[in-house]
Amino acid sequence: MIPATRSPLAWAVHLSVAIFVLLWTLPTAGLLVTSFRDKDQIAVSGWWTALATSSQNLVFRAPEGEGEAAAEGHFTLTGNVFEAGVGTVSAFGFSSKAPTAFAPDTTADLPGGVSLSVAEDGAFTLSAPESFKGKRGQRIFYTASVAPRFTFDNYLSVLRAEGLGRSFLNSMTVAVPSTAIPILIAAFAAYALSWMQFPGRSLLIAMVVGLLVVPLQMSLIPLLTIYNSAGQAFGFDPKSYIGVWLAHTGFGLPLAIYLLRNYMTGLPREIMESARVDGATDFQIFTRIVLPLSFPALASFAIFQFLWTWNDLLVALVFLGPQDDKLVLTGRLVNLLGSRGGDWEILAASAFVSIAVPVFVFFALQKYLVRGLLAGSVK
Amino acid sequence: MLVRLLTGASLLALWAGAGVAQDLKFAPGEDSRFNWASFTEFSDKYNLDGQSLAVFGPWRGEDQALAESVLAYFTAATGVTVNYSSSENYEQQIVIDTQAGSPPDIAILPQPGLIADLAAKGLLTPLGDDTKTWLAENYAAGDSWVKLSTYKGKDGSEALYAFPYKIDVKSLVWYVPENFADAGYSVPQTMEELKVLTDQIVADGGTPWCIGLGSGGATGWPATDWVEDMMLRTQPADIYDKWVTNDVKFDDPAVIAAIDEFGAFARNDTYVDGGAAAVATTDFRDSPAGLFASPPKCYMHHQASFIPSFFPEGTELGNDADFFYFPAYAGKDLGKPVLGAGTLAMMTKDTEASRAFIEFLKTPIAHEVWMAQSGFLTPLKSVNPEAYANDALKKQGDILLGATTFRFDGSDLMPGKIGAGAFWTGMVDYAGGKPAAEVAAGIQAEWDGLK
Amino acid sequence: MQQLWTALFTIVLGILCAGLWFGGSNWCLDRILPARGRTGAHSSRNIALAALVRPWLFLGPSILALGLYLVYPVIASLWLSFHDKSGQRFVGFANYRWLFGDSGFRESMGNNFLWLLVVPAAATFLGLLAAALTDRIAWGNLAKSLIFMPMAISFVGASVIWKFVYDYRAEGSEQIGLLNALVTSAGFEPQAWIALPFWNNFFLMVILIWIQTGFAMVILSAALRGIPEETIEAAVLDGANGIQIFFSIMVPQIWGTIAVVWTTITITVLKVFDIVLAMTNGQWNSNVLANLMFDWMFRGGGDFGRGATIAIVIMVLVIPIMIWNIRNARAEVRGR
Repeated sequence: MIPATRSPLAWAVHLSVAIFVLLWTLPTAGLLVTSFRDKDQIAVSGWWTALATSSQNLVFRAPEGEGEAAAEGHFTLTGNVFEAGVGTVSAFGFSSKAPTAFAPDTTADLPGGVSLSVAEDGAFTLSAPESFKGKRGQRIFYTASVAPRFTFDNYLSVLRAEGLGRSFLNSMTVAVPSTAIPILIAAFAAYALSWMQFPGRSLLIAMVVGLLVVPLQMSLIPLLTIYNSAGQAFGFDPKSYIGVWLAHTGFGLPLAIYLLRNYMTGLPREIMESARVDGATDFQIFTRIVLPLSFPALASFAIFQFLWTWNDLLVALVFLGPQDDKLVLTGRLVNLLGSRGGDWEILAASAFVSIAVPVFVFFALQKYLVRGLLAGSVK
Repeated sequence: MLVRLLTGASLLALWAGAGVAQDLKFAPGEDSRFNWASFTEFSDKYNLDGQSLAVFGPWRGEDQALAESVLAYFTAATGVTVNYSSSENYEQQIVIDTQAGSPPDIAILPQPGLIADLAAKGLLTPLGDDTKTWLAENYAAGDSWVKLSTYKGKDGSEALYAFPYKIDVKSLVWYVPENFADAGYSVPQTMEELKVLTDQIVADGGTPWCIGLGSGGATGWPATDWVEDMMLRTQPADIYDKWVTNDVKFDDPAVIAAIDEFGAFARNDTYVDGGAAAVATTDFRDSPAGLFASPPKCYMHHQASFIPSFFPEGTELGNDADFFYFPAYAGKDLGKPVLGAGTLAMMTKDTEASRAFIEFLKTPIAHEVWMAQSGFLTPLKSVNPEAYANDALKKQGDILLGATTFRFDGSDLMPGKIGAGAFWTGMVDYAGGKPAAEVAAGIQAEWDGLK
Repeated sequence: MQQLWTALFTIVLGILCAGLWFGGSNWCLDRILPARGRTGAHSSRNIALAALVRPWLFLGPSILALGLYLVYPVIASLWLSFHDKSGQRFVGFANYRWLFGDSGFRESMGNNFLWLLVVPAAATFLGLLAAALTDRIAWGNLAKSLIFMPMAISFVGASVIWKFVYDYRAEGSEQIGLLNALVTSAGFEPQAWIALPFWNNFFLMVILIWIQTGFAMVILSAALRGIPEETIEAAVLDGANGIQIFFSIMVPQIWGTIAVVWTTITITVLKVFDIVLAMTNGQWNSNVLANLMFDWMFRGGGDFGRGATIAIVIMVLVIPIMIWNIRNARAEVRGR
């Protein structure tokens, strides 16, 4: 490609790509940070606050008398409001009405002769004429600057989900053939539509474009009905992997044919003609010349089809069923969310668990997109 | 997994015969809170080894584990292999599956409107008169449950198509008792007192309510619960019944008044955390967090019995958070109405196993096992209330049993396009400032369009 | 594990079968109608006949799959659109009459029009920009992967991502949405972005543009790399600068691919519903046709007649694009 030699232009390019990338990844970065945050913090503060030390109003509940010391009819309970890690207390209180009433290291008098003091490092002392046992632990409100705190718990709860491994395999089983089959048959069709002359060709191309728009939801009931009646007539299980593969093939074909045809039409005419002069048949031209030249287009379609089948839930649920042993990964992750559909932290972590494979596929196939096969061979 | 069995040999034999390595949550015969006799009697009656049963329900995540723990007892008793499944889009899934001719054996759904539709298309099997009589006799307020479960079939004749199982109480207000104690508030017993308390909190410089209607694609539904609760507190129950069937129009003054009763809370900037503008966009899952903030962002939150699963981790029900009955007006002699919701089981395929499953739901043990774990209420009179896992559940059970009027969530009873569509959208518009009369007229127009 | 082997086995089997079909049928055709016949006339007749049959051997499997999985459901929808909600009673044009009188439909049409105007143009342009820029720099592949990432995120993930961008909290309380945090730190009032009628359309469109740019970039980048280097080298020797080369040499070369990307995204826009469903479900006047269809199809038992009617309208909207593609295809043939 063009070497960006002139340095101001080169800098401009670097800078604009950087801005582009920043804009495109910022929303996702938010989710990534969120996926490492504590459940209770997500709905309370912005994800960017998790990156720096922040001042927060927090509540700590003192234990119900465990570890209290008794001396001369006086009971003392000590501890630290920071359960883990360190922080700095800037104010405290004992009532929700006035959570910041007292400065650290001062003593607050609570009703019933109880007194409470909280030090800057979070150490607190409660003392009272009666035992703390058998009573609800005192709430200690405090304002503190808390260092960023991240947790792997969200990922652990996603990764430990029962049947996750099996669902991963199920998703693989669905996605890989559903990607391979349409590519193969679409490539042949695309070749015919771009390099063979026959009546009705442009009509067929328009048909393919038209079929791109068929809403998937529309097709589900008629197709499942066919599957069921065929299953009954020939005695097979209508909800099988083959059914899903074929369904994904059908739904993915218009885009595959459309993209591949566009690419193949752009291939240089001379190559094909010289091959034909040499006595090659269409089949040979296709397999020996067109197919290898179309690799970038095949790879890019493969990426999209894989993504689509990997992230799909609806087609898999309808044609494979939601049973435990056939559940795909997306289904498994969605089920983690519970009947009311949502714990943000699980959503965030599972989004990144399920993105791992498609991104890997993208990286793996990217070199085929990049290798300018065509550019090198046109001579 | 070895489970110690202390009951009769028949049970033991059956357990072994079933050959299923399912872990029963409570070993049969051990805990005296449970009605084990009903389990033994049921399992003696059925031997369906080798059969299987596909159950499709709305429960996912933790609820799914709970549901499966109950289904394990059915397996242990009958030898039937149960396949429970659910899906995020269960509404869509059940429509597709039944319509295309590959339904599960048993479907469990929370929307009577959807069930009515399935019944009308002839996709469900009637449960029969025995079950009808059984419901009427054994459920508290049995006739209202029978009515709820009766739908018109394909031929237009009415029959019992569904079996109510697992109820949620919706008329609850959640609060933090210690915050109430700090500020010196007490739990209101009447709607008048609740309104006084609301004003009191504002006068003290606090914000009384957290209201959030956001729910992604279902945004608006929490407001429908408010309006239904207000309907039951301002109008007799039969007006409510006519409202859900559209015999009382949606733009009837009675309905508009109920919407405005909700607006009195939700559209007052000083009453709601974040002001009225935040109501429609705050997610209902994030909304209760305000109760636990320091200082509290709000003191009360109106929501159904499921909401504690969205409370901060470690919140102890009864101590850290509690609820009270959303009170009725003392000045309007309407008793103690309770709004609820629930799931109903139905036979999408008529098999021996699915018939046995409906019978299983009639045994107290099918209710007690879930009750003893969490989040399950039942109107079945013969269960042991001691089996409720905690006091909060027992208290909700008391509200359910103490109700003078029990009504099912109206938006679930209305046609789907209204109850899960126009009503939601209308409430969002209303929260955004559109007049109640205009909103109600719009919903009525949409309803007319369905006929 | 066994399952994975089955899958692999199936892939191999599938490829073998396909190879057998394509290879075998072509071989048979060559046997039956050999190009080198006994006489010249014979062989030219054979060639002509074979040329007539061969395209259909190549197209066969695709046509079969398209027919079953797409054409048949379209016909079924057409049939349903003339029937009542349970698909049992013929109602003539009642559904269509209802549709054109429905205010929800008019609102969705208006919004869809906006979407069609904005999203394909923005996504294609940004995709082209991304493809052109990343091709010139060393870390271009990394940049590409990052811009592509939104495509790979499942829809559930995407809706949470944008919740944390558009979330609204009242003025004074801490914002957890990025956009409102920026707006308030600049001293303005926070807005409930997705609840602002009319403008919320654009906030929803941003999500689709964010996703589709990756698609446009990948396809266009492949096309840019297909431009023969000599063409560009010649321009460089003529003293053209980078921007001139891009607009006057490279863009015209890949014009066909730009049109394809544009068409594909336009059709995606016609079908888009999950973004709208998850973010607003069409509330605050943000409904679009596909979501309206979904709503009628499945909400509360579903009305198949009306759902199918809306689907047919969506399909009719694509006809201008089909005609345009027929024209293009004819022009290509003539151009050869």
